[in-house]
Amino acid sequence: MTATGQDADVEGVEGTDDGGAPAAASRPAPRKARRRIAAVVSVIGELLITAGVVMGLFVAYSLWWTNVLADRAAHHQGDQVRRHWAESKGPDQQKELDTKDGLGFLHVPAMKNGEVLVKKGTSSKILNDGVAGYYTEPVKSGLPRDKTGNFTLAAHRDGHGAKFHNIDKLKDGDAIVYESQDRWYVYKVFATLPETSKYNVDVLNKVPKESGKKKPGRYITLTTCTPVYTSNYRYIVWGELVRTEKVDADRTPPKELR
Amino acid sequence: MYGWIWRHLPGNAWVKALISLVLALAIVFLLFQYVFPWAEPLLPFNDVTVDQGMRAVR
Repeated sequence: MTATGQDADVEGVEGTDDGGAPAAASRPAPRKARRRIAAVVSVIGELLITAGVVMGLFVAYSLWWTNVLADRAAHHQGDQVRRHWAESKGPDQQKELDTKDGLGFLHVPAMKNGEVLVKKGTSSKILNDGVAGYYTEPVKSGLPRDKTGNFTLAAHRDGHGAKFHNIDKLKDGDAIVYESQDRWYVYKVFATLPETSKYNVDVLNKVPKESGKKKPGRYITLTTCTPVYTSNYRYIVWGELVRTEKVDADRTPPKELR
Repeated sequence: MYGWIWRHLPGNAWVKALISLVLALAIVFLLFQYVFPWAEPLLPFNDVTVDQGMRAVR
């Protein structure tokens, strides 16, 4: 299937490609054999080019297309959550809805990415929808409303919404605001760990020792991968609750977000 | 390889070009829709959680 109709192409490459094979260059090999070698070389070349194009497409897929899909999904689910909240405004203000669409929203002004929907779980199926997930394993996350605990979140650094892409912009003292149905929880960053092993699950502990804290408190932990575009290590940011605010009728954001 | 495909497409050059374009787009679609989503978790570019090293084995 290769050598039959190939003449036109073969004539063109003979001088260059066949020069690499000493047998063909030094003595006049039978035309048929030469043609076959040229055909093989050109098929290999085309396969290599194809492989390059496919890898280029994969980069486009990872860094662009997954964001398109994830932002669409996150937007849709975020709307669902807001709708649930609007519908369930009633006497039982205490309960905080944790629907399958999500729990609340994370606002991190320093990351400049608007609101991030927070959902339960950190499987890639959940995180790929462009949300931040709170850990259920290996260490179960606390929730913001708990008296003490560590609210531990993970989200993608690149692709799939890249919600924690700018995590390295967070400095000590920056605000992390979590919005639930009826409360704003304002956290302040107090420690970061720019590089740690992916097996370092201690960062999720109720009292994350590496952050310098010794006593239980109301902490928040953001985890994502680092360096950008790879996931050799994990980037950790810790914050501590400084105050909460009741959500008013207009959902006026706390001053950190204005 | 591509030369062989080109010669086996029906029609004149314009028709061939059109068919090639459609084929190329179909392949890109298949890659984005099925192949890349399958390959992505197998590649070490996008694990964000701690302890995923062990879970990735599944």
